[in-house]
Amino acid sequence: MSLLKVNNLSYAYSGATPFFNDALKDVSFNIEKGEIIGIIGHTGSGKSTLVQHLNGLLKPNSGEILLENENIWDNPKEIRKVRSKVGLVFQYPEYQLFEETVYKDIAFGPKNMGIADDEIDKCVRDICAIIGVKEEHFNKSPFDLSGGEKRRVAIAGVMAMKPEIIIFDEPTSGLDPKGREDIIEIIKNYREATGATVIIISHNMEDMAVIADKLLVLNKGKLEMFDTVEKIFSNRVKLNSIGLDVPIVTRVFDELIKRGVDVEKDIFTVEKAIESLKKVKAGDSNA
Amino acid sequence: MDNIIEVKNVTYEYVDDNLTHSAVKDFSLAVERGSFTVILGHNGSGKSTLAKLINGLYKPTKGDVIVDGMNTKDELYETEIKRRVGMVFQNPDNQLIASIVEEDVAFGPENLGIEPDEIRKRVDESLKAVDMYEFVKSTPHHLSGGQKQRIAIAGIIAMQPDCIVLDEPTAMLDPKGRKEIINTILKLNREKNITVILITHYMEEAENADRVVVMNDGAIIADSTPKRIFSDVEMLKSVGLDVPQTTELLYSLKKNGFDVSTDVISIKEAADAIEKALHLEEK
Repeated sequence: MSLLKVNNLSYAYSGATPFFNDALKDVSFNIEKGEIIGIIGHTGSGKSTLVQHLNGLLKPNSGEILLENENIWDNPKEIRKVRSKVGLVFQYPEYQLFEETVYKDIAFGPKNMGIADDEIDKCVRDICAIIGVKEEHFNKSPFDLSGGEKRRVAIAGVMAMKPEIIIFDEPTSGLDPKGREDIIEIIKNYREATGATVIIISHNMEDMAVIADKLLVLNKGKLEMFDTVEKIFSNRVKLNSIGLDVPIVTRVFDELIKRGVDVEKDIFTVEKAIESLKKVKAGDSNA
Repeated sequence: MDNIIEVKNVTYEYVDDNLTHSAVKDFSLAVERGSFTVILGHNGSGKSTLAKLINGLYKPTKGDVIVDGMNTKDELYETEIKRRVGMVFQNPDNQLIASIVEEDVAFGPENLGIEPDEIRKRVDESLKAVDMYEFVKSTPHHLSGGQKQRIAIAGIIAMQPDCIVLDEPTAMLDPKGRKEIINTILKLNREKNITVILITHYMEEAENADRVVVMNDGAIIADSTPKRIFSDVEMLKSVGLDVPQTTELLYSLKKNGFDVSTDVISIKEAADAIEKALHLEEK
């Protein structure tokens, strides 16, 4: 059953000028429960605009968004319910921390949903256990934490609402390599523990190859492609034509194939690359 | 050797929560005129403190920073050091002040009291140097992140510095914007002979540098050519840094018993190394 269905979504920012192309044109797709979807595209391709539609922060000019087969705008007064079902983690979420303590900040979302206090406590502790926010931090001010820790707490605040779909808008931007790795790990752990559907906007094709099931490619507000990671990354020509590229390891393999070396096509991760080259090596020594 | 920057046994301390921390400890570094140096390190390794020490925004607690023979502690040289060592920061939106591109670039030279004719010349030349001349009359806020950052760089070049220090100039940009900035920096270094110190944690950006310095806990832990640095995958990982995926691939191959060299960065070099290793097997 499809969890989230977008039909013919179009949007233009009001007061649009010739400078603004950050709009969506007739976008349609379907997301199944439990999938991890990566959204890729240039700056200005409409990625952030699209995800803000999915939890009702923006209202389409035309088209519809169906969450569990219900149009989210059928009853505009109930739109807040949609926002607790579809959690959105903005870019640089740590800028939105505001409470006196880490615990209060994480509890803020569930509290606003009207959940009972003891239930809130469970939400907070469960999430912190899954993504590694230490209990010793609970009574600290979130502003005393390091950059990476702050972001972890800000993400926990959205996860604590137990959304069915959680969306991350460039979750690793501005972090150092260790910080980036940690955030990818958090997302994986959360996905494993809850089975939630995950949508990630990213510029990092290498990360996408490892974490995503499917990729949604946006270009100038239009849906260019929506398919499995394998299908998308095997269409390098089209990706290049819209200024995107395949993972670096895939480019190395393409170069080897071009030189006539007999290696597998469609290698997108280092792990798969090693497997493939081991086979080549074993094949050679048997010959 | 002709060094434009000399950092000599510098310690920089700051007080937070009544505790004294040192961001850099007994740190020494000499940077040759006209060179392109990349400084790598994770957040909190002291990279940004070093940048601010170099152009005199911070003064050393102990030790000296000498820019072209001038000590940053000497107030007499304060303005001259800031002119000679330009700084570019992470967020382009925080660095642009005027509503028209050319006015923004003119701001620095105007403050130096330069003649209007000369300012006009410098603004045009600077914008051409960063390939942004066609936007001379545009509004910065309508430009992309990479374009804004290039305007910020043009504003620095207009003051005719000998050295530019860039503190994570690409951290907030998309891959296209990042490429624009790196190409611009390379061009300034190669064509205008401006000394470049680039602080980053994107390893790919170090590929074309003359020298890579790795910092951890306020100290230098490695200082060599990009290839040498990248081939030491374990050292980089141990301080929370990453390697380009090409290096990662060859490092993993080596661990899996392939006879490959790991000091490669480009796609071509990686393909060369793999091809060679496979041919060796055949023999």
